[in-house]
Amino acid sequence: MNKLVKSLAIAGITLGAGAFTASASSHREAPAIGEDQFADNTDVYAFISPNDPNKLVMVANYVPLLLPASGPNFYKFADSVRYQIHIDNNGDAIPDIAYRWTFTSQRKNGATFLYNTGPVDSITSQNLNVTQTYRLEKVNERTGQTTTIMDNVPVAPWHVGKRSFPDYEKVALQAVRTAKGVTAFAGPRDEPFFVDLHVFDLLGVGGSPTTDGVNVMSLVIEVPITDIAAGGVRPAAGSKAKESVVGIYASASRKRIRFLRGERPEDDFGGFVQVSRLGWPLINEVIIPLQDKDKYNRSNPKDDVANFGAYILDPEVPKLLNLVLNAGCAATPAGGRTDIVALLSPNGTKTSDMLKINISQNQTNADSHFPNGRALTDDVTDTLLTVACNNGSKISDGVNANDKPFTTTFPYLASPASGNP
Amino acid sequence: MKRILLVIAVAAACGKSDDRTSASVATPSRSPSAPSPSSSLPPLEHSTAADLAREIADADRRGTWRELQHRWQGQTVRWTVTRQRLLCRSADDCNVAAFPIERPAKQGWMPQLTFAPGQYDAMSSMCGEQEQCEVTVEGTVRQLDVSPELPTSVQLSNVRLVSEPHLPRTRTARS
Repeated sequence: MNKLVKSLAIAGITLGAGAFTASASSHREAPAIGEDQFADNTDVYAFISPNDPNKLVMVANYVPLLLPASGPNFYKFADSVRYQIHIDNNGDAIPDIAYRWTFTSQRKNGATFLYNTGPVDSITSQNLNVTQTYRLEKVNERTGQTTTIMDNVPVAPWHVGKRSFPDYEKVALQAVRTAKGVTAFAGPRDEPFFVDLHVFDLLGVGGSPTTDGVNVMSLVIEVPITDIAAGGVRPAAGSKAKESVVGIYASASRKRIRFLRGERPEDDFGGFVQVSRLGWPLINEVIIPLQDKDKYNRSNPKDDVANFGAYILDPEVPKLLNLVLNAGCAATPAGGRTDIVALLSPNGTKTSDMLKINISQNQTNADSHFPNGRALTDDVTDTLLTVACNNGSKISDGVNANDKPFTTTFPYLASPASGNP
Repeated sequence: MKRILLVIAVAAACGKSDDRTSASVATPSRSPSAPSPSSSLPPLEHSTAADLAREIADADRRGTWRELQHRWQGQTVRWTVTRQRLLCRSADDCNVAAFPIERPAKQGWMPQLTFAPGQYDAMSSMCGEQEQCEVTVEGTVRQLDVSPELPTSVQLSNVRLVSEPHLPRTRTARS
């Protein structure tokens, strides 16, 4: 028991060390984004499809820690935010391709406060009063050329409760669409990141998986690997070329200026400014210190070494573990933590905070585990604690799995918690 | 009048649309190839990376980012740095650690080096198979990006080796 308590407390130190605003993988991890919930990246996952080894699944989650009973204005994506998943396919840490989601909200009846005016049995139900649709585009980030993959696609509704949705998941899965070989889903899902957050109570140990029962807004996309591979060609099995690994990160951007007016709704103007980004879990939480957290969110992976490399070489986490908990973590070697640098640079790709995954022809779903991509089941907290401490023993936060099982079919994430179960 | 001002503000805001590079830098951009510090400024060849870090911290408190950039950009510096093989893989992709291991790091930035002809190969040859080695280099501060909004980055150009490599510094061996 003492071992469990100690391990949980260790996790608490680790998660809390970067900023007192941090709470989970990348949920409210920096001061500025903590005030902009709808643009807040939480986690990114990438894995070879379990159903088709020629396809890659990418998940970008946003809007952290959502209470299911959050009416009457239930959570959705922000119409004013540009949500993107970026892919570098030649190892230079400069994105070559992006998938971009643009959302539009609708309302059928403004004379009621209800999200839905009766039971909903279909995503096209007239009882579904508040809805949202999106356009999904593929962007060539070298040229700026943009191609629409699908448009006017419905976002899965919020799981209001059993009276509104007698069979919620049937309705939600009607939001899955396929076009041009790409399958997509956008909507609320069960929060897949698992961790104990009671440790923020002065490092006390709650012993419970506190992200259970909360939801998150998920973008899920499954694409042919040839759509994202350099030159449209999947690298040969066993290739050690930089092109055999793609780097993935998600971002959220807002327009520069918002005008608030008394006489009509606000307007947004100007070019887009990145306000949040995420590749690996926990980098901005516990590697980047408070003075640079907001700057990290505004910067780009290609500059990570120039801007933040010294934090990676000489991280704070193991020192805090030793200082507060006498955890026995190894001292940072004189030349720095080049072992962490190596994990961020597979196959000679430029070191950057991107989630990197091997896409060569022999790769299957079974190979997709962090840090080679990230599966939904991966206990990244344990993995990163163990890497950070670097003393040869495994460190665990004691929470080892999600409360709900993940599915084996698209969109793979579990159904969201109901607002009225 | 208010409407005119509004239109001007919107026009200015709409002038650029680039979500990856559009966060503005408070300091004026200087041509990377032609840094030109004021001739009245004292030379900085005896100033260390730690001196620059202190001045950045000072600028953060006082908002003197522009002065800081003006003072350092274009100056010649001689710094002792640690070259990690993984982070300095070619003459076109080389960043070095400007500080010894601090337990933990106090600054995140790692200077990017652009070498004088033959100097990258010379450094690689001198460091040999070592994963990291410490060298003293001299170069020009070609670009110093400092602002309250974006992270600090430093580029040194025309970099030349001025010392033999030796073991990485420990905490007590400050530059």
